[in-house]
Amino acid sequence: MGMLKISVDKIEPGMKLRKSVTKGDMVLLNEGTELTEYMIIKIRNMDIENVYIDAPSQHSIPKEEMLAQLDMRFKNVENKPYMNLLKKLVREHIEVLYE
Amino acid sequence: MNNNDIRIMRRKVERISSLPTTPDVLKQILVVIEKPNISLNKISNFISNDPALTTKILKMVNSAIYGFPGRISSVSHATVLLGLNVIKGLLIGTSVFELMQKSMLGLWEHSLNCAITAKLIAQRKGLKEPEDIYAAGLLHDIGKVVLILQFPKEYEKVMNETEMEDITIFEAEKHHFPETHAGVGSWLAEKWNFPLNLVESIKYHHEPHLSKNAPLETAIVHLSDTLVRAMGFGFAGDPFVPALNPVAFEYLDLNENDIKEILEEVEDSRSVTEELSL
Repeated sequence: MGMLKISVDKIEPGMKLRKSVTKGDMVLLNEGTELTEYMIIKIRNMDIENVYIDAPSQHSIPKEEMLAQLDMRFKNVENKPYMNLLKKLVREHIEVLYE
Repeated sequence: MNNNDIRIMRRKVERISSLPTTPDVLKQILVVIEKPNISLNKISNFISNDPALTTKILKMVNSAIYGFPGRISSVSHATVLLGLNVIKGLLIGTSVFELMQKSMLGLWEHSLNCAITAKLIAQRKGLKEPEDIYAAGLLHDIGKVVLILQFPKEYEKVMNETEMEDITIFEAEKHHFPETHAGVGSWLAEKWNFPLNLVESIKYHHEPHLSKNAPLETAIVHLSDTLVRAMGFGFAGDPFVPALNPVAFEYLDLNENDIKEILEEVEDSRSVTEELSL
């Protein structure tokens, strides 16, 4: 799953934190927390610039579609040296993302 | 276009800074960059006088890609840390961002991910100046931007042919121009006084075996371009992964596990990309 670092100006309720929000050594919000309006106001008042959230774009493409696109990208070079190896590695990489 | 027109083509390309479609900020940057003995000091003064450029450079240098500890809040500090070539690359890169978005949606994302990937591979191979490779990755397709700006009609034909014939943009360019985006990009890199290794890694990123002076750097940019396309990040003119050059790939001596780790590292750094491309 992808991760997106975004400015606190752009966070919205419902976004899920990919990394905990910290201030110095103090953890303000744990990873996995779904942001609420109240939390957003608090974060914006705390002199924090960016937070990490789950990237929405990765959810929207189903795995089968990702793999079909992979096949399409490689279709002209399947029999070229090392291209099968490369394709295999990218395929495995994509599969891990969906686990 | 006739094959004998290569000199005319080169002259047209080198006039990029006087094109009406070139943004003012890029024109000013090119004037500064084309001065042969520009010092770090002068370049950092130039950046500091432009709030938008200052913001962009500080944002770049403070992003996770560079991994400098602590916050860098001054342009002069940033230029010392990154060096002249990287700063020049970033200046051109950030200022062509809008052009890229307008002329080829996705080319910025492709270029930035290629820069990130190239730097990761350079670090893995223990190169002394991995930042310089970053600049090469960012600018390797700059020739496409110039071709679209300077020859919009012909380039549209190239794009159409790519789609109709199922071929890569590099192949289609050869049918319409005496020189491809790789060569065109290297003309500019020369004009902008980039060092030879940067010029060659742009010039030969599709034919890395031809690089005499910078075979390692060129092989790295070639592999990065291939990996980024394989992962499907961004758009560089066609949806296809070009074949890896076996000589260059073997020269890099990366095993399966290396590639696997590189793919993971690129995926992790990619979050930063989306922030920088806003």
